[in-house]
Amino acid sequence: MNDQHIAIIHGREMGARVSSRILEEEIQKVITSGFRQLNVKAFGQHGIGGRLWSEDKRPIQVTVEGPAGQRLGSMGFPGTRIEVMGPASDDVGWLNAGAEIVIHGNAGNGVANAMAQGKVQVGGNIGARGMTMTKFNPRFTRPELWVLGSVGDYFGEFMAGGVAVVCGIDPQDPDNVLGHRPFIGMVGGRAFSRGPHKGYSQTDAKLVALTDGDWAWLTENLKQFLDAVQKPELFETLAEREQWQVIAARTPQEKISSKRRSMETFHRDVWEAELGQGGLIGDLMEIDRSPISLIPTGDLRRAVPMWENGKFLAPCEATCPSGIPVRQRWQLIRDGLVDEAVDLALQYTPFPATVCGYLCPNPCMEACTRQSALIAPVDTAVIGKASIEARTPDLPELSGHKIAVIGGGPAGISTAWQLRLKGHAATIFDLAETLGGKIPAVIPEARIPAEVVDSELDRVREVLDHEQLKEALTPKDVRNLAVEYEYVVIATGAWKPRTLPVPGAERMMPALDFLAKARTNMASVGKKVVVIGAGNVGCDVAAEAHRLGAEEVLLIDVQEPASFGKEREEAEKIGAQFKWPCFTQEITPEGVMLTTGELLPADSVFISIGDAPDLDFLPPEVTTVHGYIQTDAVGRTADPTIFAIGDAVRPGLLTDAIGSGRRAAEAIDSLLARREPADPMSEVIDINRVSLEYFDPRISGYDDVEQCGDNCASCGTCRDCGICVAVCPQAAISRLDSGAVGYEYAVAADKCIGCGFCAGACPCGVWNMVPNTADI
Amino acid sequence: MPSNRPIAPSSLSVKDLPWQIAWDKDKCTLCGSCTAVCPVNAIELGVFRKRALQTSLLRPEENASTFGTWHGIRQKTDPSFKCVGCAMCTLVCPNDAITPCRSDEADKLRFHINQGGIPRSRGGRRNLAAGLLDQIKFIRISMLTDPALDAGRHEFELRSLLGRVLPPEDSIRFYNERGWIPPVREIYPLIIGGMSFGALSPNMWEGLQLGVTYLNEELGLPVRICTGEGGCPPRLLRSRFLQYVILQIASGYFGWDEIIHAIPEMKVDPCAVEIKYGQGAKPGDGGLLMWHKVNKLIAAIRGVPPGVSLPSPPTHQTKYSIEEAVAKMTQSMYMAWGFRVPVYPKISGTTTATAVLNNITRNSYAAGLAIDGEDGGTGAAYSVSLDHMGHPIASNIRDCYLDLVKTGKQNEVPLFAGGGIGRNGNLAANAAALIMLGASGVQIGKYIMQAAAGCLGSESDRCNICNIGNCPKGITSQDPRLYRRLDVDQVAERVVDVFLSFDTELKKIVAPLGRSTSLPIGMSDALGINDKAAAERLAIRYVV
Repeated sequence: MNDQHIAIIHGREMGARVSSRILEEEIQKVITSGFRQLNVKAFGQHGIGGRLWSEDKRPIQVTVEGPAGQRLGSMGFPGTRIEVMGPASDDVGWLNAGAEIVIHGNAGNGVANAMAQGKVQVGGNIGARGMTMTKFNPRFTRPELWVLGSVGDYFGEFMAGGVAVVCGIDPQDPDNVLGHRPFIGMVGGRAFSRGPHKGYSQTDAKLVALTDGDWAWLTENLKQFLDAVQKPELFETLAEREQWQVIAARTPQEKISSKRRSMETFHRDVWEAELGQGGLIGDLMEIDRSPISLIPTGDLRRAVPMWENGKFLAPCEATCPSGIPVRQRWQLIRDGLVDEAVDLALQYTPFPATVCGYLCPNPCMEACTRQSALIAPVDTAVIGKASIEARTPDLPELSGHKIAVIGGGPAGISTAWQLRLKGHAATIFDLAETLGGKIPAVIPEARIPAEVVDSELDRVREVLDHEQLKEALTPKDVRNLAVEYEYVVIATGAWKPRTLPVPGAERMMPALDFLAKARTNMASVGKKVVVIGAGNVGCDVAAEAHRLGAEEVLLIDVQEPASFGKEREEAEKIGAQFKWPCFTQEITPEGVMLTTGELLPADSVFISIGDAPDLDFLPPEVTTVHGYIQTDAVGRTADPTIFAIGDAVRPGLLTDAIGSGRRAAEAIDSLLARREPADPMSEVIDINRVSLEYFDPRISGYDDVEQCGDNCASCGTCRDCGICVAVCPQAAISRLDSGAVGYEYAVAADKCIGCGFCAGACPCGVWNMVPNTADI
Repeated sequence: MPSNRPIAPSSLSVKDLPWQIAWDKDKCTLCGSCTAVCPVNAIELGVFRKRALQTSLLRPEENASTFGTWHGIRQKTDPSFKCVGCAMCTLVCPNDAITPCRSDEADKLRFHINQGGIPRSRGGRRNLAAGLLDQIKFIRISMLTDPALDAGRHEFELRSLLGRVLPPEDSIRFYNERGWIPPVREIYPLIIGGMSFGALSPNMWEGLQLGVTYLNEELGLPVRICTGEGGCPPRLLRSRFLQYVILQIASGYFGWDEIIHAIPEMKVDPCAVEIKYGQGAKPGDGGLLMWHKVNKLIAAIRGVPPGVSLPSPPTHQTKYSIEEAVAKMTQSMYMAWGFRVPVYPKISGTTTATAVLNNITRNSYAAGLAIDGEDGGTGAAYSVSLDHMGHPIASNIRDCYLDLVKTGKQNEVPLFAGGGIGRNGNLAANAAALIMLGASGVQIGKYIMQAAAGCLGSESDRCNICNIGNCPKGITSQDPRLYRRLDVDQVAERVVDVFLSFDTELKKIVAPLGRSTSLPIGMSDALGINDKAAAERLAIRYVV
């Protein structure tokens, strides 16, 4: 059969519609039998013209008259040309793989949906979703859709290839030839359009320039299209280059760059334009709220290191009742100034060797920060003993002020010493021949070499005036002294033994009496000794009794004995026994009878339950409480010209007496200068700030002052070790040759990040991090 | 603190703490960043002793013990400096040498957090990660039945109504009788819930407002944000951006003088007024802005002296009954803007929600009801309130919605749900579930802090120190050294990201239901759950 033979296929037989399947079989049959020209009198059958191929590769022409059904030309093949003489229904050219389809009228929805090759040419308008999901396979020619009029909504959705040409002749909507929301999801291909439209997906598509090559292609193919749809006369109208625009898919990279206005621009041009400079709260605050880094320096740091050198007392200094700057002495030793370290003590106590070196239980060592880590505290007794060499400071010229000190014991000597160091003449009134009070009188020689006491007392005697009283003072005498002298300081101590009101009390010997006699070996003791009152004085009694021949010493107390330190050690060393609770019923020739009926056999019984001040001489203006003189913190009594210190005010250690003397002297010095006495209290360093890890924990004792100095943590005061300089990650810390102590460590704010490494590493706890309060 | 020391009942070791710092000595460069950034000073440079032994069996004179020191990062064990697990140290560490690790067992600190008889308080949400909302799935997928919609391709207009929607006959009657019909706003169903200026830093607050404004003006998304109870900056009150803002009034009445003064100068009406009666995170308890967060700025906006703690009482002091509260306050707030602004109450999730709703339905002024469930967040609350008090939002919303259905008013009184939405990151799924259970929209707070500003808080008790003002991200701090870590524009940008992605996800959920122009409010036939009891309770399908 040659090409001139036309197979006519009827879509209606006997007035009834032929089903799409039958019509399709009929078409395939005539193709197989050699026909290459078909005239289909369609009656709504679907899929006409698709899937037609010829063994001989001759072109196939299908002319459709009558109403075509849906999916005309679907899966069309190359070499097939379908011409619909009227309008077409939905999905023309669905999955078209090469057929050329011409529709002379309008076409419905979904024209060219998923078309990959071939060409669809429509002489009218088309419905929604035309040219959607189209493809381009490089092995074949690209698909084309030509529309003479306009396209419906959602044109070109997910278009992946091919060319669409929308000519805009007699459009359905004169204002919009491309319909609503065209080119959503478009990833490939291009579209030529002519006439007004209402925008397209900016995310997916973009306008591109119409090149000369494009124009040449368009005009050439436009002629063919117009010929195909039989409107060649429109060529002149359509061949106006400036009326055309080209829309192409964006590349994925172009899609990423959103067309949205940047927030920065919006902030400036919309936000602040409406609200004003500074935005939401620009009218309420002026501070800069711009972004900063996480680890800023300078004013933006959250915390600032402070070199709090000497701001706080070390625990040793704060604890020493005499107020001796223990830590400072070790520092002087570290600085190689051993003499200065030794001499310094005399600024605070007249008895640095006697007390610090021998008699003091050293509260400073108890408080030593090292104790908190169970490391041996720096041994104050070492420097104390060395202080026997301390040189009397140069004494200032006398100021003309005169103070009377009643009592030549440790407290009285201390206050007179301090007053003299400040330039005031202090005269000590005492019944004793020599100064020293209880130190030379009652403290056992075993506790301290006599030459140490003598040496220190000599040092004192050289400096202080001593007036030996012939008889005890009366209140009137004291009043007279208060008139003659600007201030009177009462430092008479506590010498009146307390005793027990029990039968046989006369058989007991007061401890102080015994100790005083023992000092001169005038005392005698039996084999069995009971000491009532097992405190430190009781321990001294026990040791002395043993020295003088006692074989068994028993100390009793109503409660667990409060004795401690060297006294207790000495007593235990001689085998003294401790017993409590014991309540004495009676002293019999056989011994001590307890309330329980038990008899503690004794040849000698001593009582050491404390001593009370003898205050018969007090003028009535000076008030007392519970047998002691009432004073304020610095020692002022109810009579502002009379001070009282030492055991007359409160029973205590030697160092307490010395300290109270020093505080009174300072207060008097202030008052003489018409200044209110300063509060002597000062804050102590938080020992958690101190790093003890720098010290060898295995040290058990100290050989010399240098070793002690090295092992002092110098709590709260800079050791000038420079560890902070090394530790600072920002190199922000530097040592300057300036400041109160000749050097200081300074932080460069512009480098410091406030990490607190300096505070963490500082052995002395000098660095402290404080919140940054700088205005920003 | 020495290793050998007397212990107290509350002496804790690192092992006893909820978070333990794992520090790698080999990697650490000792740069100081971690200790500089730690918001609670939980770590410090430590000095450590290292003892070295040299021993010789045959030559005793060579036996030696020497010690040296080294420096490294040490975690403090004092409860006041406990690590909160925020991991800012990890963030700043240049060498990945440090990170907090969760204790491998229940910490011991929890038994000692009440020192001085003061129970623990904190910010964040309930310390429980699981939630019912995440279990709900959308089981109605239309393919060949209903028109199948494509979330990516089709146009959606997912909007909700805020305001009293009267039935036509009532509307006409109202208009005729009173010359008024209640105002109704068309808004986006995802609302940024009330977080006050004060609870949030100025940069955070401005970032949120900026983002919301951008969404409205640049992207056409009618997103609304509630001020929380802390007033509103005067400039915002006098700007056109006020239309995107829901003003909150609560029992502390902070900042309302500024709002009242601004009314004559307002260019636009606010979107709505929310009267806060309760908060899901701490039902029955009031608010408290600690004094250290009340700086001059906050004080000015709230109308209080600076440096004082600001309690909001648990109750509105002059309101004694539901009737009075709803009638009196709602009507007064309507009057403020000439009856043009919808006013609705917000309550915490509670079994009494239906009673409140009942009252609201009979009051034509009430514009809706917002319910905040037990999983809501807060800047500061007692742990006991956070962890143990409140009503789950799902069943509360469901009960209320079904009550409305019974009286045929489900299209008249919109319900808004809040509390834990997006707690595990599933913002759109949680929101859609609540909408299909009956909510007209949802409110988020914590989620937006996490998504827009990088809030580190979690339901396993990470960070959660909003209450002390040391927020390491600068979200809830009034300290410029902290809040300047937050870039206003970047927060706004993230707000935009959140809403755009939420919008896409919501479309992905509702498109298969064939919904594109109206929210599937109460469309519970689309919901299923693999829990028979929950299915029964919520009247949704049980699916296994």
